[in-house]
Amino acid sequence: MKSLLLKSWSFYVRWTARYPAVRSIVPFIPLVVLWAAIAEAGVFPRAFLPGPVEVAESFAMLVYKGILPEYLEDSVVRLVVGAAAGVALGIPLGVLVGLNARAREMLWPVLLFFQAIGDIAWLPILLIWFGFSLTTMTFVLVYTVLFPVVLNTALGVRSVPEDLRRAARTLGASPARVVWEVILPGSLPNIITGLRNGLGFGWRALIATEIIVGTSGIGFLMFDARRAGSVVEILLGMIVLGLLWYIVDGWILAPIERATGQRWGLVTRE
Amino acid sequence: MKNLVIRNLCKTYFDPYAGTHVTAVSDVSLTVEQGEFVAIVGPSGCGKTTILNMVAGFLPPTSGEIILNDRPVKGPGPERGVVFQSFALFPWKTVLENVAFGPRMRGLPQAECEKTAREYLALAGLADAAERYPNELSGGMQQRVGVVRALANNPEVLLMDEPFASVDAQTRMTLQEELTRIWQERRPTIIFITHDVGEAVFLANRVVVLSKGAVLKELAVPLPRPRVWDVLIEDAAFKALSAQVLQLVRSA
Amino acid sequence: MGDSVATAAALPRFPRLWAALKFVAPLLFLLLLWEVVVKSFGVEPRIFPSVEAVAAAGLETMQDGTLVRHIGASLWRVAVGTSLAIAISVPLGVAMGLSPAVSIFLTPLFRFFSVLAGIAWIPIATLWFGYGFGAITFVIFNAVFFVVAYNTLLGVSRIPMALRQAAASLGAGGWSMLTQVILPGALPNIVTGVRTGLGFAWRGLIAAEMIATNVGLGYMLFLARDFYRTEVIVFGMIVIGILWLLIDRLLLAPLERATIERWGMVDRA
Repeated sequence: MKSLLLKSWSFYVRWTARYPAVRSIVPFIPLVVLWAAIAEAGVFPRAFLPGPVEVAESFAMLVYKGILPEYLEDSVVRLVVGAAAGVALGIPLGVLVGLNARAREMLWPVLLFFQAIGDIAWLPILLIWFGFSLTTMTFVLVYTVLFPVVLNTALGVRSVPEDLRRAARTLGASPARVVWEVILPGSLPNIITGLRNGLGFGWRALIATEIIVGTSGIGFLMFDARRAGSVVEILLGMIVLGLLWYIVDGWILAPIERATGQRWGLVTRE
Repeated sequence: MKNLVIRNLCKTYFDPYAGTHVTAVSDVSLTVEQGEFVAIVGPSGCGKTTILNMVAGFLPPTSGEIILNDRPVKGPGPERGVVFQSFALFPWKTVLENVAFGPRMRGLPQAECEKTAREYLALAGLADAAERYPNELSGGMQQRVGVVRALANNPEVLLMDEPFASVDAQTRMTLQEELTRIWQERRPTIIFITHDVGEAVFLANRVVVLSKGAVLKELAVPLPRPRVWDVLIEDAAFKALSAQVLQLVRSA
Repeated sequence: MGDSVATAAALPRFPRLWAALKFVAPLLFLLLLWEVVVKSFGVEPRIFPSVEAVAAAGLETMQDGTLVRHIGASLWRVAVGTSLAIAISVPLGVAMGLSPAVSIFLTPLFRFFSVLAGIAWIPIATLWFGYGFGAITFVIFNAVFFVVAYNTLLGVSRIPMALRQAAASLGAGGWSMLTQVILPGALPNIVTGVRTGLGFAWRGLIAAEMIATNVGLGYMLFLARDFYRTEVIVFGMIVIGILWLLIDRLLLAPLERATIERWGMVDRA
């Protein structure tokens, strides 16, 4: 018995060493099994906690009907557009604030305060200004992504060692070249951190906005299902969201952050 | 007579990557008398750290026994003090609090803990650093704290696991001389693990050479004390002995 | 961290006061700018209110007690949800983190849930708990619970084995090990977790209050929208901003700084 356990443990260790992805997937198996068991046992009423099979069935049906892909696309596109705008605005602003002490003193408190208000609190006034429209949603997303990006970029810029900047100047780089060749690569790890934080808050704001503004998207899917009293779609939406962000953050963003930070021996702090 | 007896000690463990059982230590027997300074040397992977971990109580032996003053060893405890290669000082405690940790664990009153801690810090020449945090000290100073932290408990035996491997060469020599000075003053029993042959011969009364998990040879070090690097580095006896040990290690 | 405090050169006798003034000055300037723009461009009050209108509306809510009621409801939910979450998640995280095998296995699970924490649970929370206190507090609890559990797990599992061995060989028993080594060692991660979790929880609070209840800051904003009372909305936004600034900058950030920087430990999830 013991040798069987050791064998399987050895098997698991070798597989995860070769395919680290396995480590991120296997732990979910007992969770799903547990979920199925609880749902089957009827500990909670079916209307409150359906089982994984029903969720999977619903998933298949929604995909077949084309609803899920369409909503997913809507949500993702909004997020990407909003994030792109936020990053495009945020990086230059962050560089400015990072490099210029005057700008920093004037703008930093303002940035912190507006970040503290939070994206969601803007919804009521945005609804008055722009109604239940795409503009409202985009504004919220850009707002959400902007602040973490600006603040982290500024931090990154400030943490680029003085010597690196000096070296570039003595090697003949103009101030603009210094920004491009030294400051930006040097703050890249922090910029990615800002992006990760921004997206983390961003997709949450997106869901809230979709619930409130409600025309399409995963958030809308979940809340509409709630109104109809159908739990299955809610769970489905949550799982889809969780998986999506888990993959994007864990396998795309975090490794980039780590790679740039470690590769270049820079320390990331916020 | 107080002593530490290691008898037929063996350690095997399961390596999940290789899928096989590996023998780290095979049938090691050793006796250390009170007040002795024993150095265990050997190439990487010869099992010396594993032996130390078993004596310290961090690892259970697969077979064999470890007996300290006629009592078998079970688990870690203050009578076997440990000095780690990574210093292992608690970063959230001041130097004083670190050294006072052991006495506190034994339940001594606060005032006495502090007095003992200051006494031992003075022994290491670190009285001024008492209120500092470990990350404010250099590597050499941190390890001195590590040494007196273990000594503050008056251990029966002090186990040192390549304690000076993480500091630079000059500091290392200073620390080695410090250690022999402290040893001559207090005469703790010390088991010192290292891969540096010169360090072993400089410090110890007896050198044990390990190879592939077993004792290859034991040598006595009859050099006079106190030992100072400036002198020993030219000494013929020292050089001969070091060469002899080195040859044993390399042949292992 | 964020606040650029003046260095020793120009410091008068009250560095804290000076820092606070430097922080507030640009905001006051913004206030001035706001007033000027609204007045000189003749902006319609329903689009954007003037400073006096907002101040008047704010005063009104303070005098008739509605502000206190809303803030009270919101903060109460945050307090209950957060304390419950921390009380459960820290011990759980510690228990999981102590064993290397368990922590390796469970980390992806907790990362998944911490990634999902907060707002995404609003629909199901309202289904399970109905509208009101239960659902909102659950969202807050959820946000803090998973993030703190994950970070605690991470923090405990990253305590170097040598520290635990050192404590054991210095005679530390179970309780001492926990309070003298494990908790202090994981504290930076725990505090980071609390800060992040609370950030999600706060957003969740505002969003949930807009959707699922009839008292609270989020609700105050949403109700005002129905009546086009922009001055109440803006006042509410400012209140929210100030509250979060106080919580985050005066409580959480210094706590994080104190533990991480003082002890020289840098350990991030």
